[in-house]
Amino acid sequence: MNIAVLTKQVADLVEGIEIDASGRAVDRDSIRYILSESDDHALEEALLLKERSQAHVEVFSLETGEVRDGLCTALAKGADRVVMILAGQETPPSNHAAARMFASVLKGLPFDLILTGVRAIDDLDGSVGGLLAGYLGLPYVGLVRKVELVDGAATVEKEYPGGFAAELGVKLPAVLGIQAAEQPPRYVPVTRLRQVMKTAQVEEQEAEPASEEPVSVERMYKPEEGAGAAMLSGSAEEIARQIVNLLSERRVTR
Amino acid sequence: MVPTSAQLGPVPGWAILWVVFLTAVGLFAWRVTFLIRLLRLGRSEKRWDRIPERIKQVLVHVLGQRRLLDEPLVGIPHVLIFYGFLVFLLATSSMLLQGLLPGIHVPSLEVNRYVAPVIDVFAALVLIALAVTSFRRFVLRPAGLQLTWDATLVNILIAALMVTYLGASSFRIVASPAESKVWLPFAWGLADWFARSETLRTNAQALSHVFWWAHVLIVLFFLAYLPYSKHLHLLASPFGAFFSRLDPPGRLPAPAPEGQRLGAERLEEFTWRELLSAFACAECGRCERACPSFQVGEPCSPRQLVHNLKVQLLQYGPALLKKARAATDGGEPALLGGLIAPAELWSCTTCLSCVEHCPVLNEHLSIMVDLRRRLVERGEVDARLQEAFSNLQRYGNSFGQSERKRAVWTQGLDFKPKDARKEPVEWLWFLGEYACYHPALQETTRSLARVLRVAEVDYGILYEAERNTGNDARRAGEEGLFELLREKNMAALEKAKFNNIFSTDPHVYNTFKNEYPELNHGRHPIRHHTELLADLLERGRLKVARKLSHRVTYHDPCYLGRYNGVYEAPRKVLKALGVDLREMPRSRRDSFCCGGGGGRVWMEEIGEAQSRPSESRVREAAALAGVEMLVVACPKDFVMFTDALKTTGLEGRIIVKDLTDLVAEAVIGEAAEVVQKRAA
Repeated sequence: MNIAVLTKQVADLVEGIEIDASGRAVDRDSIRYILSESDDHALEEALLLKERSQAHVEVFSLETGEVRDGLCTALAKGADRVVMILAGQETPPSNHAAARMFASVLKGLPFDLILTGVRAIDDLDGSVGGLLAGYLGLPYVGLVRKVELVDGAATVEKEYPGGFAAELGVKLPAVLGIQAAEQPPRYVPVTRLRQVMKTAQVEEQEAEPASEEPVSVERMYKPEEGAGAAMLSGSAEEIARQIVNLLSERRVTR
Repeated sequence: MVPTSAQLGPVPGWAILWVVFLTAVGLFAWRVTFLIRLLRLGRSEKRWDRIPERIKQVLVHVLGQRRLLDEPLVGIPHVLIFYGFLVFLLATSSMLLQGLLPGIHVPSLEVNRYVAPVIDVFAALVLIALAVTSFRRFVLRPAGLQLTWDATLVNILIAALMVTYLGASSFRIVASPAESKVWLPFAWGLADWFARSETLRTNAQALSHVFWWAHVLIVLFFLAYLPYSKHLHLLASPFGAFFSRLDPPGRLPAPAPEGQRLGAERLEEFTWRELLSAFACAECGRCERACPSFQVGEPCSPRQLVHNLKVQLLQYGPALLKKARAATDGGEPALLGGLIAPAELWSCTTCLSCVEHCPVLNEHLSIMVDLRRRLVERGEVDARLQEAFSNLQRYGNSFGQSERKRAVWTQGLDFKPKDARKEPVEWLWFLGEYACYHPALQETTRSLARVLRVAEVDYGILYEAERNTGNDARRAGEEGLFELLREKNMAALEKAKFNNIFSTDPHVYNTFKNEYPELNHGRHPIRHHTELLADLLERGRLKVARKLSHRVTYHDPCYLGRYNGVYEAPRKVLKALGVDLREMPRSRRDSFCCGGGGGRVWMEEIGEAQSRPSESRVREAAALAGVEMLVVACPKDFVMFTDALKTTGLEGRIIVKDLTDLVAEAVIGEAAEVVQKRAA
């Protein structure tokens, strides 16, 4: 059983994010990168499968951000091989481009399962997994929260709106978009992480160069004050007081 | 006549005594050798250095019995029994020698004019002491003291030794009063009483011999039994004291050297001194009575921890000696998940109370942390603790906030504290993350900034370069994270120019003082802000404008008080402010932890405790007549106790206040006047 996990780094929302001078992208100097949360869950699910069925886990990451740290963490958690995908471009790729890059690297490799986070905060339409499956001619299931392997096939649990869930049978090889792993991503003690960082082999692989993007960003902006909206400002206490006043003016509170 | 010169049936008495004696000594020696081999399973640790200090530990804690006297009801009887033991060691040796060598004249201590009265008096004192301790153990039944057959048997044996000695002594007097001119108040008293009976008087010689034999045989039985019983502490604890840890308690022992797995869960992963704890423990329960987590019903018991180590050692040590290492070979299973459940470890607040109250100087905390280290190494940490660790690793604070916001508290000031990275300062103020980020504490932090301005203290801060110091991450078992944080802090500190350093956080204070050896190159030890404030008040740099009339009590933070002995400075400050300070029953060394230390503040609630340590503490404060304020000197205390006031419904009864706020209240008034005068 060979499992590939596809990951990328996204902006850490703990830090304030600014729009750059062009007004069409976030200011990348203001960004601190962190592994996309659902990709972290995809990795965790792969490691759980490894523990259950001696799978071989390889982790691929796009070049954006603190890739090396992220891949070393994956090694420290138990991944067998990590690969950085070189895109040959500065800006983070769109979902289509990302899917094409992953496809160009994975084509022809003997993976039974390809796991990726179902979506990332910088591209909420969650299309990478599905597009990749299309490029590779494989089945795809998204919003997966549990994977079990049974005789060359997988049984996956998928979430539906309204609190429903379903178990789906999927023939392998397949691509899965992971919503959440069966358990929270595991903790790697700092000592082990640092040991791994000293000796880690992060392989690099060139992706096919991206062609021209058919979609481009024309304007990017922060929430704007519209008619009927009032922005509250001040310290936490002052804002809280204003909210209480507003609520009591509208007789929401007793 | 020596009792063993008589024939017992066909064999002489002395021959029988020799057989029993050699058997007992053989059993004793065999067992003790075995126990020492078990200890040698542990990993090495240097405890042979600083011999004079070690001898002092023995004088204070073995001969002086210092910590036993913390509880006088049992401490005084224990001192009597202990010294009685030493006296009888002499007396009984002399009896044994006479019995074993009937043909040779051995000086008889029982009739020695100087020694015999001492033995006589001690026999009686030990009996009285035993009556008191038995009353305590079997009737009062203090928490933490178990009722075991072992303890009962030991009590009976010691009493029997005293009774048989007095019996032998008094009947010897009855048999030949002329030969016993020595002052023996108790033996003579008994002898006078026995002599009234004709039967006893005629059989006095024989009865004396019977008691003599009984005494000697019980001693030999005791000798053989001792290393199997909890009375082993009698042999092991003097060594425990001698080999005790001499480093400050705030300096946690480093983990096993690189190359070995972090932490411990199997016998060979503990140090030999940690294993010796198991033999030195007398199961007296002082640690449990001192443990805040145990007291509120959490699954934490330092006594049980050490006891489980002993069970593991005795159960699986022998197989290890035969090199059967894996559980599948009949060897040792891991302690974690075996005898020790992770919840027991996580409920420890690392308050040090057990260690400070242990009469045999056991080091529960290093055992506890070594076990935690292994849990962390395996990645077995609860979700909240994991989040805190990840945040500390990524942002340098457990709040998961950007380091750029670390100095956000300064925004409420009408002046800007100096940046110690950019200009030289006299004092570096290292705040600690709670003072920086916790919204309920930021005003207190600003208060101190204002007070320092009034006192014209030249200080600076590190702004966003300050990181959590790792004190609690280390005690939660994340050694690597501690090292990482220390490296980052040291890099920032090396760029700053300052002469002295102080902190508002006792946890920072502790680890800086004890675990940052390179800090300030040891020139000026770190100070706590209460020490700085006490100094400023004393030297008149801060003047109390209006005396405060609150009636308050003060909570000693574990990492300031027990760990580092700072008890006086905060009290001096309170005195200078004029407040009426009333002490809680548990204060200073006996202070009761808020429950937030050692990473506990980051963890999920543990078990189904009846209450939290913080709740127990605020109830204690609120029970003091007329006390309106619980004064704290640690940011974590403020948070824990403020919460506890809400959950206990004591909010209207008492308030929690940081010492700094009281100083500001008393001092800033003066500052305002000065400003007015200057304006005029």
